[in-house]
Amino acid sequence: MRTDAVLKPSDVDSLREAVRQQPRVWPKGAGTKTALGPPEGAVVVEVSQLRGVLDYDPAEFTFTALAGTPVRDVEQLLARHGQYLPFDPPLSAAGATLGGTLASGLSGPGRYRYGGVRDFVLGVRFVDGQGELVRAGGKVVKNAAGFDLAKLMTGSLGRLGVLVEVSFKVFPAPRACASLRVDRADFEAAWGLLRALYTSSFDLEAVDLVPPGTVWVRVAGRPESLSTRLQRLRAFLQGGEVVEDDSRIWEEVREFRWVPSGWTLVKVPVTPRRVLDLERELVPTASLRRYSVGGNVAWVAWSEEPAALSGLLARLGLRALRVLGPPGPPFLGRADSDGFSSRVKQALDPAGRFGPYP
Amino acid sequence: MDRARVLQGLRTLYPESRILTRPAELAAYESDALTAFRARPLAVVLPETREEVVATVRWCHRHGIPFVARGSGTSLSGGSLPVPEGIVIALNRLNRILRLDPEERIAVVEPGVVNLDVSRAAAPFGLYYAPDPSSQPVCTIGGNVAFNSGGAHCLKYGMTSNHVLALEVVLADGEVVRFGGESLEGVGPDLVGLFVGSEGLFGIALEVTLRLVPKPEAYRTVLAAYRSLEAAGDAVAQVVASGLLPGAVEIMDRLSIEAAEAAVHAGYPEDAAALLIVELEGEEPEVEAELAELLEVVRASGAYEVRLARDEADRQRIWKGRKGAFSAVGRLSPDYLVQDGVVPRTQLGTALAEIERLSRRYGLRVANVFHAGDGNLHPLILYDGRQPGQLQRAEELAGEILRLCIRLGGSITGEHGVGMEKRQYLAEMFSEPDLEVMRRLRRAMDPGEIANRGKMFPVPQKLEAAAAS
Amino acid sequence: MLHEIPVDRYGAVGRRMAGAVEACVHCGFCLAACPTYRVLGEEMDSPRGRIFLMKEVLEGHLQPQEAAPFVDRCLGCFGCVTACPSGVAYGELLTPYREYASAKVRRPWPDRLLRWLAMETLPHPARLRAALGLARLVRPAAPYLPARLRAMVSLVPDRLSRPRRPASTVAAAGARRARVAVLVGCVQRVLHPEIHEATVRVLARNGVEVVVPDQQGCCGALALHVGEGVRARRLARRNLLAFPEDVDAVITDAAGCGSAMKEYGLLFSGQPEEEQARKLAARVQDVSEFLNGLGIETPPPLPAPTRAVYQDACHLLHAQGVRDAPRRLLGAVGNLEVVEPAEAELCCGSAGTYSLEHPDVAAELGRRKVRGLLDTDPDVVVTGNVGCMVQIRAHLRAAGRPVPVLHTVQVLDLAYRGQGLPRLA
Ligand SMILES: Cc1cc2nc3c(=O)[nH]c(=O)nc-3n(C[C@H](O)[C@H](O)[C@H](O)COP(=O)(O)OP(=O)(O)OC[C@H]3O[C@@H](n4cnc5c(N)ncnc54)[C@H](O)[C@@H]3O)c2cc1C
Ligand SMILES: Cc1cc2nc3c(=O)[nH]c(=O)nc-3n(C[C@H](O)[C@H](O)[C@H](O)COP(=O)(O)OP(=O)(O)OC[C@H]3O[C@@H](n4cnc5c(N)ncnc54)[C@H](O)[C@@H]3O)c2cc1C
Ligand code: SF4
Ligand code: SF4
Repeated sequence: MRTDAVLKPSDVDSLREAVRQQPRVWPKGAGTKTALGPPEGAVVVEVSQLRGVLDYDPAEFTFTALAGTPVRDVEQLLARHGQYLPFDPPLSAAGATLGGTLASGLSGPGRYRYGGVRDFVLGVRFVDGQGELVRAGGKVVKNAAGFDLAKLMTGSLGRLGVLVEVSFKVFPAPRACASLRVDRADFEAAWGLLRALYTSSFDLEAVDLVPPGTVWVRVAGRPESLSTRLQRLRAFLQGGEVVEDDSRIWEEVREFRWVPSGWTLVKVPVTPRRVLDLERELVPTASLRRYSVGGNVAWVAWSEEPAALSGLLARLGLRALRVLGPPGPPFLGRADSDGFSSRVKQALDPAGRFGPYP
Repeated sequence: MDRARVLQGLRTLYPESRILTRPAELAAYESDALTAFRARPLAVVLPETREEVVATVRWCHRHGIPFVARGSGTSLSGGSLPVPEGIVIALNRLNRILRLDPEERIAVVEPGVVNLDVSRAAAPFGLYYAPDPSSQPVCTIGGNVAFNSGGAHCLKYGMTSNHVLALEVVLADGEVVRFGGESLEGVGPDLVGLFVGSEGLFGIALEVTLRLVPKPEAYRTVLAAYRSLEAAGDAVAQVVASGLLPGAVEIMDRLSIEAAEAAVHAGYPEDAAALLIVELEGEEPEVEAELAELLEVVRASGAYEVRLARDEADRQRIWKGRKGAFSAVGRLSPDYLVQDGVVPRTQLGTALAEIERLSRRYGLRVANVFHAGDGNLHPLILYDGRQPGQLQRAEELAGEILRLCIRLGGSITGEHGVGMEKRQYLAEMFSEPDLEVMRRLRRAMDPGEIANRGKMFPVPQKLEAAAAS
Repeated sequence: MLHEIPVDRYGAVGRRMAGAVEACVHCGFCLAACPTYRVLGEEMDSPRGRIFLMKEVLEGHLQPQEAAPFVDRCLGCFGCVTACPSGVAYGELLTPYREYASAKVRRPWPDRLLRWLAMETLPHPARLRAALGLARLVRPAAPYLPARLRAMVSLVPDRLSRPRRPASTVAAAGARRARVAVLVGCVQRVLHPEIHEATVRVLARNGVEVVVPDQQGCCGALALHVGEGVRARRLARRNLLAFPEDVDAVITDAAGCGSAMKEYGLLFSGQPEEEQARKLAARVQDVSEFLNGLGIETPPPLPAPTRAVYQDACHLLHAQGVRDAPRRLLGAVGNLEVVEPAEAELCCGSAGTYSLEHPDVAAELGRRKVRGLLDTDPDVVVTGNVGCMVQIRAHLRAAGRPVPVLHTVQVLDLAYRGQGLPRLA
């Protein structure tokens, strides 16, 4: 550990105090996103003590919980009422917290249908760089009052404030799911399928492409219509193997179990058309890839020094976030410094307590 | 700076024909769709390129002159109300769709593009732009971005914010920034999410990248009539609780049914105290399966008449009536105030009953037509501006409704924004430290507070009193 | 909004004007439907803006002179009326307002001269014919003329037929089902007498006895639309006397005339003739409206498959609310495919004398209209108003694709006579 100390505040006031006292603070959830480590010289403030669901009325389809609450606990609670988090939070089995999930802005393959974590967060409370407890957004499914700081916190990596409390909306869980596995001779053919699905009017939960030529499609809904829908889909795709009991398959994906231990895993936002360029660059490298969300995210597992990957991505004009593997600067690829985010940083954390944007 | 000098300055940026200063020209820009407020700007400029917008903002920044961006002026909260003696930057001529990429499901547009025109352009490719404010034939994407506008069909796939991928913005001090990207996913803080809904207080959106979605294969539109508004409100909670996920769940009460029926002859049951419109959308076999369940839920919820849209034309009429309802209420009353508070969906029945009670107490009619599925109320408070004191009573009633929403754990606005109208109530929803962070953000983008000055943030009581006197 | 129009000051129409102003809730739904707003993108050139400016003038906060350019630029197409959910009767504001303001607004002399010229020639067939002859002589010099005159000359037709009018009574073919009087008006009689002839033939063919009253004259529409109320009433009075009461309907085949005659009640409100004017107005029907109501004999199919694009005339669609009737009639013609253009509800820019007074806006609208029409790849363009026909024809010519332009009744007439529709060579 590069850091000197770990604080574990047991309530909001001691968290605020901790932030005020320390020149450099780094909020920590459960430590599942191992690559997102603390910046040099920062005191780790672990929010794991701030856990628990504060408010959940199943009829309302919303809940509010402390930021250190494990996602898994919430998922179990929701499941008892036939509800779920449609953005398919990754690493929940590994212990990811709600705060960490929001702060790292990560969503799973199932975000294809209804949107990512940013689309489901309703409100937040956080401690800003001056130790003030700030609330933004709300607890109802719709709210346009004031600036949307809850969205801003999505992907902020703990650099704008320490999340204390989060409110989310949830959806009814589908009653039946099944997947279709389609194999094509080569990547290009599979990529063609992915793009055809992207503009089709099929309602799909997930569309992933695994090199060299496999497309995974997930369908969910009512049990009585599921088989008809799968048939129509097979007709469209000209084949495909139906996998009925598919929850384990998708959990493997969500937990990144396909990533060899010790490798660096990065998230690369991309667009369906550009997937081919990226794959062509990556084929010769020592990497594993999975193109998710209909070709909007490339998950790249990398065995070597991330610097080489960073250069490759930069050449393609792509920017990426490290998620797993040895910690280091969070962003790889194209450098991005815009006047907007530095102003945001200045407003929320003028003293730079949460470290600079790398 | 005196008037003449300001105008002289603007003349270096625009040809004479695109600077409006004559009384008739300025009068036309005095209000948005909330006509209780009027303010006369010093000038209105009509930029035709983004460079002109940037130059105007820089010029305003240099001289400390406030400006207001304006789309189609359909804001219902006084958002595009001019700042007295400020500049209005009317963006209607920046109305080009710069790029439509059906394969990537993206449209890149200028801010003055009208919402519906995006869907029209995407239609040949089987795509559309999902957020559908009722004002969509006229309101602009820039205005939608500023207010995070919603619409009847935002229940499943979200509001404007959920459909904007990237922005180019000129901040109020003249710096041009771009953020977001073309992917559905990003890394780093969600700056697009922060800008959308910032009510024009950071600067002006110059270019907006929108996400398009494939048109659903099928729709089923159900109309259910109820004997009381409260019953319809409770029915919403039952539909939501059933685990169905409709594309839209809307309610219209007796007054709005009457008004809309007069405007478009949509064939609503005219004797109903309240009408529930629920629309399922998706793949044909799925909506067919969902329909059976929906009909069961609706029948069990006490509807005395249930009917299905017969065909696409019938469905279009049903929505035309719903979407024209605000304006149609103009048939019933010379003036009205629209409120936009949100309550938890389980509290809809309670909130509606309370609004009916308040309406009786104030002796002012209230029409309700709203996005029930999100708990987003739209009480229209009918008054007659010619009667002395009526506007004030209407405003007091509006205030009570907002407080009711806060008390029930909701919000003062779901989609119309705080604007000019609700700025004092923002302080009842948020504490001083919450507001202070928002102010710091605002000043970080706009040190001179020239962008939309006076909007959204509560004005210190003393100033408010001075302004009123 | 606070309303304080002193209605009594404006006589019989005061209450109506105020009513229209008060019904407007400033929602802006009409903006998209307004051709001038679509072209100019300025609030004061929108219906909402114009209503507000007229309100300001009527309340005494704004000089009529200040509001004039924007109210003048209104086409009077009433696209806004169709679009307005609040039921704002824009016509009840605009027409009386224009009359009220015309006395108070000083216009530069070329404008006045032009308007005077138009008013003194268009409603008078003999003068119009002479003027058109003159205009054709100067056509070679068109590029050197000022914009407005150029616009005027560009609309002059290539050929001028002899002025004709149908016989004063035409018997129904077969059993008589109805008896109507037909307006033959002024401009159309000179430019396109064949339209009236087609109207009479199609009516007769369907068992309608037609009378063409001798004493009738210009309906007054042109004067009415530019606020010349006195002149309009002078012209209209003649028609009050000319049209008999013992007919089932008074038929117009020019949408502009039809909408003006339907407004006769408003034109004479507070005047001794009001009652009589209302009665006549109530009997007025567009030829398509009447035929559709009556039910027509199915014509034989056209000899060759033909694609027609139907363009709504504003004064038919928006001012008279006639949308389905012409479509149904055309739908009865076999071998005729009827398609709809993009932006169908937008004015072509003709609007009476508008294209003469505001050539830039009119020309832009004409170009847009023709683009939309040509995009459907039509064999013919069909519409229900002579003004639109002239404007569209001129812009088709300018676009290099002079597709034939026909009136709805001409299509029916040709079909009944077993002839094909004219085609582009
Ligand atoms: C196997 C392993 C090896 C490690 N090796 C090292 C090492 O070599 N060097 C080292 O320095 N560290 C190391 N760590 C520590 C590890 O990097 C961090 O503790 C861990 O990444 C933090 O997890 P997390 O809270 O970010 O996880 P998550 O909870 O998933 O959080 C992800 C992101 O969210 C932010 N975040 C979390 N909670 C909040 C909140 N409430 N408010 C605001 N932001 C929040 C975090 O700052 C982080 O940016 C290791 C951890 C593990 C498990
Ligand atoms: C009849 C009616 C029905 C409505 N229905 C709905 C509805 O269903 N849902 C809903 O959400 N709203 C609705 N509205 C409200 C309104 O239409 C929306 O708020 C709309 O987004 C405003 O768009 P506009 O182009 O008219 O913007 P304007 O009113 O001109 O401006 C609104 C705000 O946006 C700012 N702005 C404009 N352009 C920019 C830009 N480029 N960059 C930064 N700021 C900018 C302005 O300064 C102002 O603060 C309705 C309004 C009416 C009149
Ligand atoms: S649509 Fe009607 S009510 Fe709305 S602004 Fe236009 S005229 Fe006024
Ligand atoms: S009549 Fe036509 S031009 Fe005039 S305001 Fe209405 S829509 Fe616009």
